[in-house]
Amino acid sequence: MEEKFDRGSALTIFKNDRAEDIVALVIALIIALLVYLFV
Amino acid sequence: MVYTEKSRWTLIIGVIMVAYAYLVQSNLLAPVIKFLNTSRYTGEMSTLAYAFGGIALAVGLWQLYGRHKEGQLDYYLSSVAGVMFIMLVAFVVKWGLDPLMAKWGHDAQPALGFNFASVLNLNYVVMGIIAGIVIVNVFNVPSWAQHGVRLSRLGLKTGVILLGSLYSFAELAQLGKLSIVLIGVFVLGSMWLVLVVGTRRNLPNSMTGVLSAGVGVCGVSAAVAAAPVVQAKSLEIAYTIGTILLFGVLCMFAFPIIGKSLGMGPIQFGAWAGTGILNSAQVAGAALAFQPTGIETLKVAEIFNITRVLFLPIIVVWLAVWYVRREEAAARHVEKVDIMSVIVGKFPVFVLGFILMFLLSSTGIFAPARHYQGAYFDNSDKVMVRTDRSGKEINNLLKDTDVELLTKDMEKVKRDDQRAALQRLIDGRKVMSEDDDDTLRGLQNAKVMSKEGGAVLARAHRAVRHTAPKVARFRDLIAWFFTFGLVGLGMQITVASIKQAGGQPLVIGSIIGVIKAVGSLVVVWLLVHESI
Repeated sequence: MEEKFDRGSALTIFKNDRAEDIVALVIALIIALLVYLFV
Repeated sequence: MVYTEKSRWTLIIGVIMVAYAYLVQSNLLAPVIKFLNTSRYTGEMSTLAYAFGGIALAVGLWQLYGRHKEGQLDYYLSSVAGVMFIMLVAFVVKWGLDPLMAKWGHDAQPALGFNFASVLNLNYVVMGIIAGIVIVNVFNVPSWAQHGVRLSRLGLKTGVILLGSLYSFAELAQLGKLSIVLIGVFVLGSMWLVLVVGTRRNLPNSMTGVLSAGVGVCGVSAAVAAAPVVQAKSLEIAYTIGTILLFGVLCMFAFPIIGKSLGMGPIQFGAWAGTGILNSAQVAGAALAFQPTGIETLKVAEIFNITRVLFLPIIVVWLAVWYVRREEAAARHVEKVDIMSVIVGKFPVFVLGFILMFLLSSTGIFAPARHYQGAYFDNSDKVMVRTDRSGKEINNLLKDTDVELLTKDMEKVKRDDQRAALQRLIDGRKVMSEDDDDTLRGLQNAKVMSKEGGAVLARAHRAVRHTAPKVARFRDLIAWFFTFGLVGLGMQITVASIKQAGGQPLVIGSIIGVIKAVGSLVVVWLLVHESI
C-alpha cells in the first residue's frame, strides 16, 4: 500500500505516530468535554 | 498528487445511511428491530445514520462536482470516503451481526447447553475484524476507500484514551497489597516470557511486542494500545486477539473443572481466573460456571481482571524501550540505547491520554468517585423516594406485598449470609449495603426463591445500583471507535499476509498462556486464602 501514498504511511494518513496520537487525544478530549457538558 | 477520486460511491453510501435512518425513524424497520432485539439502539441508529449520511452526501457531492487541487483540503477530505465505507460496515456489524449472533447464541443454548456466541466471543470485536477480512479478501477494498482505511488506527487510539474513563482509583482500593503485587508479577512476568520466547523463535519484533502485551495484560485494549509502539502490522494485532480469544475459550471450560477438583474457594478461584484467563468476557463465564449460586467469585475475578488494564502505561514504556533497543541494535550494531531519549521520543501520547481520562474519572466528574465501571451503589433516601419531572412520586422502597413474598420465600434460603441479608432487606425495605447487594445478587442467581420473589430481588437491586449516564455514554462511544478501528484493521489483512506469518504466534501465545495459568494457580493456591 505504501507506494500509493506520498504522505503518511500504509498505517496512517498522518506524517508520524506522534501527530496521530495528538489528533486522537484532541478528539477524545473534545468528546469528553461534550459528554461532560451535555449528558 | 491529488488524492480525491471522482467516485459516486460516497454519495451512494450517504443515500443508504439517510434512507436507513428514515426507515428506523418511521418505524418501517420495526419487525427487523424486534427480531434482533435492538429496540434500545433505535435512537442511536437514526442519529448516527443521519449524521454520517449527511456528511457522506455533502462530501460525495464535493468529490463528484468540486474542483480538486493538490493540498491539505484534498488530502484530508479524500479520506472521508473510506471512513464512510468503514462506518457502513460498522453499522452492519453493530446493529446487525452482533445482535444476530447474540440471538442465535441465546436460542441455541437449550440445545447446546452453552451460549456459543458468548463462549466464542462473537461480538462486535470479532465480527468487525472478520467483516474487514472478508471484504478485503473477497471483494478487495475499493481504491476510493483505501485512503480512509488508514484512519482505522486513529479510531483505535481514540477508543483506548476514552477507555480510561471507565476506571477509577476505587477499584484499586478494593484490592489488598498482595493482589496488586500478584497481578503485577503475572502481567509483567508473562510479558517478559513472551519477549524472551518470541526473540528466541525469531518472530518479528513487532509481532513479539504486541503478543506480549496481549498475553500479559488482557485482550483487545492492550494489543491495540501496544501496537503503535512496536509498529505492529494489522495481521499481528489480529493474531494476538485471535490467540487471546481461542485460548480463553479453552480456559473457560477447563478452569472451573480444575478449580472444583482442587476444592478451591470462591475467592481463590476468582483470583486465579482473573489472573490466568486473558479475556474479560471469558473470565466472567468461568467465574459464573464455578459458582452459579453466588456472586463472590465473579466479583473477585472481575476486579483482578480489570485491574490488569491499569498496568497498561508501564508495559507501553517497557515495550517502547525494548523495541527501539532491538531495532536500533540491529540497524546500527549498537548495544546501548539512551532510555530517556526513547521514552521522550517514542512514548505514545495517547497512553498519556488514557491516564488523563483515568485521573479525571477518579475525581468523580463523570460519575461518583467510588464508581466501578460507571456503576455505583446508592440507597440514600433521596434516591429511594423521589419525584420525576412531571412531579409524580417514585417510591422504590419495598411494598407490603413484596415483603410478604420475601418472608414466604425465606425458608427456601439455606445460606446464613443470604438469610441475614434478606432479613435486613425485609426490615429496611431496601438493600442496606453494597455487601448485601452482592449477597442478594448471588441469591437471585441461585434461583432458589420463587419467580415472584426473584423479581422483587431484581427490583430491589435496580433501585440501589445506578449506572452513571456519562460513563454509559463513554462505553457506547468506545464500542463505536473500536468497531470502526477493527473493521478497518480487518481490511488490511490479506490471505497472503496470513500465510506469510504462519501459525507460530498462536503456538507461542498459547504456550505462554498455559505457563501463566499454571503459575498463577500455584501462587494463588499458596498465597490467596479467604480474604484479599
